[in-house]
Amino acid sequence: MTRSSGKRWLRTLALFLLLLAAARFTDCSPALFWARRSHLTDLISAMLPPDWGYAPRILAPLLATVQMSVTGTALGSFLALLLAPLCAENLHAPKPLRWTLRLLVQVLRSFPTLILALLATFLFGLGTFSGTVAITVYTFAILTRLTYEDIESAELAPYHALCAMGAVPAKVYWRAVVPGIAPSYFSNVLYLLETNVRHSSILGYVGAGGIGLLLNEKISWLEYGKVGMILFFLFLTVCVIEGISGLLSQIIREERSLSPLGKRLLTGAAVLLALVCTLSLQPPDFSHISPRAVQAMISGLFHPDWAFFFETDTSGLGYLLLETVCIALVGTCAGTVIAVPLSFLSTPCLMPQLPALLFRVVIMAIRSVPFLIYGLIFIRVAGPGPFTGVLTLGVCSVGLLSKRFTEAIESLDFRAYHALESMGVPLLLRIRYAVLPQLLPALASAVLYRFDVNIREASVLGLVGAGGIGAPLIFAMNHYKWSEAGAIALGLILLVWCIDRLSASLRR
Amino acid sequence: MLLEVQHVRKEFQNRTLALTDASFSVSQGDFVSVIGPSGAGKTTLFRILNGSLRCDGGAILVNGVHFESADRRTRRAIQTTIGTIYQDFALVENATCRQNVLNACLPDMAFLPAVCGFFGKARVAEADALLDRVGLADKVHEPVKNLSGGQKQRVAIARALMRHPALLLADEPVASLDPVTGRQILELLRDIQQDQKLTVLMNSHNLELSQEFSSRLIGLNQGAVVLDAPADTPAEEILAAVYHRQEDQP
Repeated sequence: MTRSSGKRWLRTLALFLLLLAAARFTDCSPALFWARRSHLTDLISAMLPPDWGYAPRILAPLLATVQMSVTGTALGSFLALLLAPLCAENLHAPKPLRWTLRLLVQVLRSFPTLILALLATFLFGLGTFSGTVAITVYTFAILTRLTYEDIESAELAPYHALCAMGAVPAKVYWRAVVPGIAPSYFSNVLYLLETNVRHSSILGYVGAGGIGLLLNEKISWLEYGKVGMILFFLFLTVCVIEGISGLLSQIIREERSLSPLGKRLLTGAAVLLALVCTLSLQPPDFSHISPRAVQAMISGLFHPDWAFFFETDTSGLGYLLLETVCIALVGTCAGTVIAVPLSFLSTPCLMPQLPALLFRVVIMAIRSVPFLIYGLIFIRVAGPGPFTGVLTLGVCSVGLLSKRFTEAIESLDFRAYHALESMGVPLLLRIRYAVLPQLLPALASAVLYRFDVNIREASVLGLVGAGGIGAPLIFAMNHYKWSEAGAIALGLILLVWCIDRLSASLRR
Repeated sequence: MLLEVQHVRKEFQNRTLALTDASFSVSQGDFVSVIGPSGAGKTTLFRILNGSLRCDGGAILVNGVHFESADRRTRRAIQTTIGTIYQDFALVENATCRQNVLNACLPDMAFLPAVCGFFGKARVAEADALLDRVGLADKVHEPVKNLSGGQKQRVAIARALMRHPALLLADEPVASLDPVTGRQILELLRDIQQDQKLTVLMNSHNLELSQEFSSRLIGLNQGAVVLDAPADTPAEEILAAVYHRQEDQP
């Protein structure tokens, strides 16, 4: 064994032990899961068949949900395109401005949409306006970061050439940098639109409008047939949005050509849609907002409860954060284990058309269900606690992971595989030596990315009592204990920052 | 005198002395080549001349106006009269040829029309005429990424001409092109220079081409001007002076 391969084995072993420890910490018990597996199907069978007569009641809130996501995505991505150049190191914006903006983006990025929406309801009242604000802020934070990273790796020779002609950098940015980053920017916008539609379907839980309100109501009244109907509609919506976004991203990648007139019409339609959605937005409801409450909230958030922050026992912040990390870690691994076979089975170039399509629909169905439903299903199996969180995050990770995996498999270069095949190398060895080396980096980066997302998502699991930092955060906010919420928020920001650094160094 | 370079000095932050003492002048309508070994400071000199970089000492006069010590506004105004073409073209790959040429108008435009791409009919017509002049009339709507290296350099020349420059800086314009295409590009450059009485300052590694196309050679070595001679000076003399080849000769 060479020294480097020995090191690699050691690293794998360490990762495995870490995972084992995290699994123990989160009370993972496959035996319990297996013993109580019958509970898994109870809820699903109660939802089937869906209550078809309920369909007309769903349309209006569903439209409001889509409107929130379209408006939020449009506003957030526009802001991101404006501010990203100020964050990019290689465009030389003034340093204080750059660092302030980067800090803002990093702080906003640490919170899932649901927490942002909860915060927005305290500022703008209940209703879709708060939901839209939350989605705008979330989109802005994620997209600004992705865009300034794109700018930093972009080809800047034309930018410098035009600046040397005496043009002002702001103009040159639009004409020489934006065209270069546009394909990747628009792909990110489409991806965020998909995510936002799914996120906005649960914002109703905190009173931020949309279909989540209805979903919450029907679940609490145990009207599962109606819940099934809502889920069915959500599934359809996600299918339509993904269909449209798939088509658009083909145009962006220039796999599908479009006449200049078609392009103009498409741009016009997109701008019109965003404008209509934005202008028809329900205005904020300030009637229940008192300036004093807002003041208390802001001062509380900026004066964290340090005693709680530094507490070391099981009710302290450190313990809760550790639990959150463990839930995210084990959940991501569980998701990977499910996603790898699913993505191989759903790739048309490896499987016959029909089964591949079937598995695609299965993945889409898994993706379209809001995580709260999973939480409710798994809480019947595993009871309240971190294990439910692990199961929920595991299933939630499947959607994104299998999408990324499928993309990686589809872009595989099969020449080496066929070369080995012609030499008579058996199938498993061909996969081992010609497929895996190409696939592993893409898989690893997808898993790392999802882990990053899961850390943030884990903080909303508290809503269903599934452990982690979420429950205390939401309780603190709902009970106006703003300094405690401030401490948790600060902890979360620091945690997300650390994970960021860690995954950046792992990527290298 | 169009351009006067007086005792220009440039030291980088890592203490590398790129230019120690560069002085020369170029008059209106000249085609001058700057030659010298790698690391002689040619590219640094060009970046200082087009305003991408500041020098640490000496003076640069463009049409008698101090370029280096000028205030921001004057500096920008001078920059707009200097066109540059680059070895790696520095074009926006995703944009069409016409859009790339039109980008040269950005300095004179207001912000909103510039961002929205409203250049006006006159500018579009001029850009198309320039593309026709460099032989790319049929590629106006073609994205630059679909072009060959030679065609890209033609677009870059059209973009530089769009500014009606008094001085055209050509930084290794043919270094990334094959010999035949390179010669065509230089022929185009010389034709345009003679038509429009343009002043061209070219930076090149290819002594043979430099001698053929320019009227004067300036040799740089270790950051200082070591040669300033007519282009028909015998090659051995130039090699000895600029590249210090004399020790190799018997």
